[in-house]
Formats: sequence, structure tokens, C-alpha cells
Amino acid sequence: MARSVWKGPFVDGYLLGKAEAARGSGRNEIIKIWSRRSTILPQFVGLTFGVYNGHKFLPVQVSENMVGHKFGEFSPTRTFTGHSSDKKARRG
Amino acid sequence: MTSRRILMGVVGRPHGVRGLLHVHSYTSEPADLADYGPLLDDNGRAWTLAWRGEGVATLSDADGKPVADRNAAERLTNTRLYVERDRLPPPDADEFYLADLVGMTALDAAGQTVGRVAIVHDYGAGTSLEIEREGAAPLLVPFTLACVPSVDAAARTLVVTPPEEVLVLDEARAAE
Repeated sequence: MARSVWKGPFVDGYLLGKAEAARGSGRNEIIKIWSRRSTILPQFVGLTFGVYNGHKFLPVQVSENMVGHKFGEFSPTRTFTGHSSDKKARRG
Repeated sequence: MTSRRILMGVVGRPHGVRGLLHVHSYTSEPADLADYGPLLDDNGRAWTLAWRGEGVATLSDADGKPVADRNAAERLTNTRLYVERDRLPPPDADEFYLADLVGMTALDAAGQTVGRVAIVHDYGAGTSLEIEREGAAPLLVPFTLACVPSVDAAARTLVVTPPEEVLVLDEARAAE
């Protein structure tokens, strides 16, 4: 069942302050968090979080189309890493 | 660039009685598997693939003879299909094959070896490199210009600038 709209998105409060501080600093930093349940808010766009998957903190670079999803969706807890085959990466 | 094989797909179960096979493609666009020319199996035999439907293909051997019947197709189940790295088209500027990044030596800004790229993660939130280090936990670095300022594909090295880490404790952890 979907969450009631009147409640607004859930996000652990302590993330907001850290995100604001990180945005202001402009440094190359990764914010390590355990809060996989928090919703990605527009103010997190452009920041990089290290989201704990029970084993390590996987880097999650927040982009606009991730807003509304949960942090945990981008940090899988299983070990399958996929096949590289002809897949390419570009430096973000 | 050293020539090495890259896993591109695997043969699945037979389809029907005329030698068709399910083929699981690992390429970005599954249909592209047929565009890389002859595919090699673990024994070095070359196979030519032609799609006959969604995920169903005909495999022909080096002489151009297709797999004749279901019994022959069953023998190919679980066969891994590779291409030589040299057959992949050159990537665009500032674009890298994940297969090329794996195994690269990571150096710090001073040129000292940090470790070796063991895994490239990409779960929809940007690519990141997992660097194995001797006597230390693996280092996870986002594949960004700030953290990986230079990549030398020919020398198989890359320079990493690990980001500063900010730990955010949740209430339960902060209370401990």
C-alpha cells in the first residue's frame, strides 16, 4: 500500500543537515550513510553518498531522475556484479 | 591493447526440434551479439549467431553448418560465447569499456601504487571502482573526474584521488 501523500516523503532528519553542509563545502567528499530507507530528495541531487549494503558503502551519485526513490535501491545487498561484456562507462 | 576474450553470452536450452537455441546475451543491447562476428566457445571453436526470434537463435559452425537437430543443440547448452577484445569498436572520447577498467593498476597522485581494480559496480547510480589493496580493505571510488582524474588505457593505469569520507551516524549508532 502506498504511503499517504499528506505525510510527505520519509527521510531520516539527520541526512538533511549533512547534505546541506556537504553542498556548501564544495569539496570532493562522499557521505557515508546507513539509512537505506530514506527517500532521495531534490536537495540531494549532485551529491555522492556511500550507502551501506551490509558489507560496504557503495557510492551513489544522486541525479535528478533518482528523486523519489530510496537510497537502498541503488546499493544492492547481493553479490552479483553483472557481466561487463561491451558495457561502457563515462566519467561523471 | 592486449587481446583477450570477453564473455558476451551463454547458450541456453534448445528451442524446438530443428536445432534452434535460446541464447542469453550479456551485451548492452541483446540483439548486438550477432553483430560481433564469429563467437568463440571455451574450446576455441567459432560460432556464427543469427537471431530467429526474441532470445532464440541459430548457431552455425565455422563451415557455416547450422546446428542440425535438438540433440546437437542440447550438447551446446551452457556453452559460453566470447569475442576477442580487439573486435569491440573503439569507445568514444572519455568513454571506457568496463572490461578494460577491470585489472588496471590504480596509482595515487604521487604515482605510488594503491592497488588493482577488481570490480566495476554500476547499479544505476553512477559507475564506481572497487580497488583491491594489499593489507587493507578494498577502496570504493566513484568513477568521476574528481576522483579518477586520469585513465591511461594503453599503460593500463589510472590515477585515483579518494574522496573525503563524511560519516553520518543514525540515532541508534550515535547513542552507542
